[in-house]
Amino acid sequence: MEEIDRLDPAIRACIKKRGFSGLSEIQIRSIPLVARGKNLILIAPTGTGKTESAMIPVFNSMLSHPHGGFRTLYITPLRSLNRDIMQRLEWWCHELGLTIGVRHGDTPANERRKQALSPPDLLITTPETVQALFMGKVLRKHLKNVSYVVIDEIHELAGGKRGAQMAVALERLVEYGGEFQRIGLSATVGNPEEMGRFLCGKRPFEIVSVPVAKHLEISVDFSGDSFEKQAEWVSKSIDHHGSTLVFVNTRVTAEALGHQLYSRGDVEVHHGSLSKDVRIDAEERFKAGKIRGLISTSSMELGIDIGHIEHVIQFGSPREVSRLIQRVGRAGHQLNAVSRGTILTTGFDDLLESLVIARKAKANEVEHIRPPVGPADVLANQVAAMAVEYGEIHRSRIHRILSRTHQFGDPDTLLGEVCSQMAEHRLIRLEGETIITTGRARRYLAANLSMIHDERKVTVFDMVSRRTVGTLDESFVVGWVYTGAVFITKGQLWRVLDMEDGKITVEPARKAKGELPSWEGEQIPVPYDVAREVGALRRTREFGRYGHKKAPEKFAVRFLDEMDRNRSPVATDSRIILEQAGEGVICHVCAGHKANEALGRVISILLSARFGTTVGIEIDAYRIYIRLPSGIRAWDVKEVLEMLEPGHLKGILELALKRTALFKWKLVQIAKKFGAIDPDADYERLSIHRLTDLFEGTVVQKEAYRELFTVYMDVDAAARIIELLKEGTVTIITGSMSILGAEGLFSSRDEIQPPSTDQAVISTLKRRLEQQDVVLACMNCRKWKSRTVVSRVPDVPVCPNCGARLIAALKPWEEGLYAAANKKKKTPEDRTVEIRLVRNANIVLSSGKKAVTALSARGVGPENASRILSTLAEGDSFYREILKAERNYIKTNRFW
Amino acid sequence: MKIDFIEPGPALLVENTIKVLVIADLHLGIESDLAQHGIHFSSRSGLRAARVRDCIRETTPDLLILLGDVKHSIPVLSRQEYNELPEIFEGFRRMVPMAVLPGNHDAGIERFLKDGELQKKEGVVIDGVGYLHGHTYPDPSLGGHLILAGHHHPLASLRDDVGCSLRAPAYLLASVASSCLGLPPDEEGREPTRVMFMPAFNELSGYDILKIVKDPFSPLSRCMDAGTSEVFLTDGTYLGPVSSLEEDGRD
Repeated sequence: MEEIDRLDPAIRACIKKRGFSGLSEIQIRSIPLVARGKNLILIAPTGTGKTESAMIPVFNSMLSHPHGGFRTLYITPLRSLNRDIMQRLEWWCHELGLTIGVRHGDTPANERRKQALSPPDLLITTPETVQALFMGKVLRKHLKNVSYVVIDEIHELAGGKRGAQMAVALERLVEYGGEFQRIGLSATVGNPEEMGRFLCGKRPFEIVSVPVAKHLEISVDFSGDSFEKQAEWVSKSIDHHGSTLVFVNTRVTAEALGHQLYSRGDVEVHHGSLSKDVRIDAEERFKAGKIRGLISTSSMELGIDIGHIEHVIQFGSPREVSRLIQRVGRAGHQLNAVSRGTILTTGFDDLLESLVIARKAKANEVEHIRPPVGPADVLANQVAAMAVEYGEIHRSRIHRILSRTHQFGDPDTLLGEVCSQMAEHRLIRLEGETIITTGRARRYLAANLSMIHDERKVTVFDMVSRRTVGTLDESFVVGWVYTGAVFITKGQLWRVLDMEDGKITVEPARKAKGELPSWEGEQIPVPYDVAREVGALRRTREFGRYGHKKAPEKFAVRFLDEMDRNRSPVATDSRIILEQAGEGVICHVCAGHKANEALGRVISILLSARFGTTVGIEIDAYRIYIRLPSGIRAWDVKEVLEMLEPGHLKGILELALKRTALFKWKLVQIAKKFGAIDPDADYERLSIHRLTDLFEGTVVQKEAYRELFTVYMDVDAAARIIELLKEGTVTIITGSMSILGAEGLFSSRDEIQPPSTDQAVISTLKRRLEQQDVVLACMNCRKWKSRTVVSRVPDVPVCPNCGARLIAALKPWEEGLYAAANKKKKTPEDRTVEIRLVRNANIVLSSGKKAVTALSARGVGPENASRILSTLAEGDSFYREILKAERNYIKTNRFW
Repeated sequence: MKIDFIEPGPALLVENTIKVLVIADLHLGIESDLAQHGIHFSSRSGLRAARVRDCIRETTPDLLILLGDVKHSIPVLSRQEYNELPEIFEGFRRMVPMAVLPGNHDAGIERFLKDGELQKKEGVVIDGVGYLHGHTYPDPSLGGHLILAGHHHPLASLRDDVGCSLRAPAYLLASVASSCLGLPPDEEGREPTRVMFMPAFNELSGYDILKIVKDPFSPLSRCMDAGTSEVFLTDGTYLGPVSSLEEDGRD
């Protein structure tokens, strides 16, 4: 207990008061290092007292140093986490006589003003708000006394541009009050040293790491491939374990699962699209034990305290080892308690992947985090920030600030390029080596404090079901969407009918052609290493080594047996299989999403060049589906693959990407962060396919490529596959379509969808028509009419008054016509109406309910209805005819 | 009469008794307008003017016709235009005499033009060919001639087996109904009046041909007979009638 004894008596009293009998392992190891002024990376599972480990020694020295200004910044990536940390540290500060405050986007103005007048000793904040602190004169002054910066969940920041921006912010902070002590709190990562360099630049640092594996108990299970069965399994598991956190990979799944389980009454859904109040309410009810199950996307991954969690269910593969550890780590939540979690797998790919990830988690083989190297848009953002901060600043000073960071360590060329680009679009002025701020720079900065792309959303409206399908990010719309374009979202194909005022009107499309843009939004890519090991597992089939449950193993073995029986070769880590499918070729490559993305695009551009046609691709972690015109066969693809040189991939991709929507999308995002395009820019002004030309050869374009090649796809990993092919370690076999190929094609692992899109359209239509109001009116006795819905109409409608079957089926707004047709003295218009109604009734007389259904469709009158009925189409084709008629009507009358 | 497609323009060289180089929709100064709408980059007027001079050098015409929307800002001149236009026009004049058919974006252009350069906005017939920008009804004298017009910025979207693969500036040629345009009725045995919509020389502009045909927004496009329409790429490649551009993927 000697570490404790060195602490200030006030702190010791607090520890005692909190009821801690002693310090945890991580605290014992880290407290002396922090106390000695070392920079520190602290790696431990959530819930092991990381925050206290960092803060106890920080509090200790805050007590013995003078007051004034912010003295410690505690930075977390999330506002909700800020709230939580605030609750945890408030007590300590109160006991120790220190002041504490939280400041982020939601902080009310009066609270901000108070902080400016009397800054709290400890400020809890977000990276973006740190950026804002530099903008205010008064706040800037308070930054002079900062002696500690604690960054929580640093692994969340380090891998992205937010982190790069924060790294520069830390060095800008040094300019004010000199060096300060840096402490980073991280979940388990594969490369802690990189975390240290990210936090400290070239300064020395120490790492304290507590391996997570010994605290984890992970199993993999399988309950059949129907969603209902899976939901049932989840329900039973909640009954068995009590308080359960269920992680899913997408919001769609969260909603679908929630829907299945709501009837239990003790399950809630928690994801980012829900309002803050709803989320907080769910958190608190879970904490209070009022609900037993919380279904959540990544929104619950970070260390927000929601009380005791007995068991974590991961619904479907967690995709990444770090994600699994982080998620399962939420269970237990007491020092040294074991965290229990189960992955419920949903299919063959999903199962094998989960087995591999579970093994890696237990072996502590966590993914590496790769901070972006020299992201140019971050640099532009920070150059603008410094220009505004200082009014004018010499380039050498910016250079000095940047070169202290790890990510911009050697900023020479890049800084020059970035500055001239910014001067080009007049965000800054250059006078020799001096960078001068502009009016627009301040406005730009106010709108771009964050490196998170804050995009306008465009509503997608489905004309067939007449409802909003969802939203698309604006940049996706800019790149892809034009009248007549087909794209995928929510696992379905849509064709664009019209675009206006931030709304896109679509109809479900049946034919899928071209390089189909697909908007999934929340896809989590499977890493290369995981996909390779899945390939190895498919080869060895040693499932026993991976898990102990019988159901998963049985399913996997049965699946592979069927492949063998069909004489379908199975793609593994040493075999690529090319299968001839309906409209193209499925390439089975076990290389993960990002490598397959790169590989798929290379193949498609080469095929496209050779055959002079557009080639469409869709990828997942184990397949590349290439949509091809008939005539191009699997062996053509094979030839292309065999001719590839690993070194050529980058060059081919640069050429290939230039014309794609993906590239345009990225380019627009980056141009925005560069201040070349305002957040609310009006693209209608410009034929957008020309936008790319404007940035030809600029640093904006370079950054778009850099990001695409590292974040969106993995060109290096793709090159590795080609190398293996060259050496002969990997071979290529062609074959016909297998069940493994079909699995990728027809079952999207994250979406629950009807068997085929066409089916979906028709069932939507059926549903809509059945709910349609209809007025039945007797054209014989002219004395009976009745309002009902189509589903209640009998097969042969009969007038209860006179027994005739001459019944007109009217749309609700046509009800008035009946009176007009029955007038004693008719005007010529009334006469026309009467003829129309009799005609209508005659159709119902000859075709019964079918006619009523047709007549209820949008824009279908007697003429169209008799045309539809005369085709004698039955079942689905009948509904297809109706769809066609509605589409024609809508094309001629732009009524929406 | 002979018409050459100048691909790097896009521009047309009309040869009858003299050689006329025709360029439509330069939209010089578009950048300051884009900046107001949130898209910022430096002026490309210089590059555009250089491309015009390249065309002049290549074709050695007797006359340069700018078919309207030479400048961009309306209703008043922008500072960018004040600064850039005099020098650009001087550069053209040094090489060839020029004529301007004013378009809807050309408010205030007269102050930069010399006597005789500015033509009527309803169009003129020069050397047997009618010229106008295309936002107005044509002058009756244009009836019975081939009319070259700007204003519409036609762009063709080409689709192959698998989907859209190319969007390119294009020419749209169609006959127009004289009566609809208020032109004198077609004489017996005379060629019907035809109009050729030129693509914009400005590299940032373009408007889908199908949209021009479906939602016509000018007298000329309203009065054209889509059934007779033909589409050409900027190198003169004949693509076919407009109907061949319609998407065939619909069921």
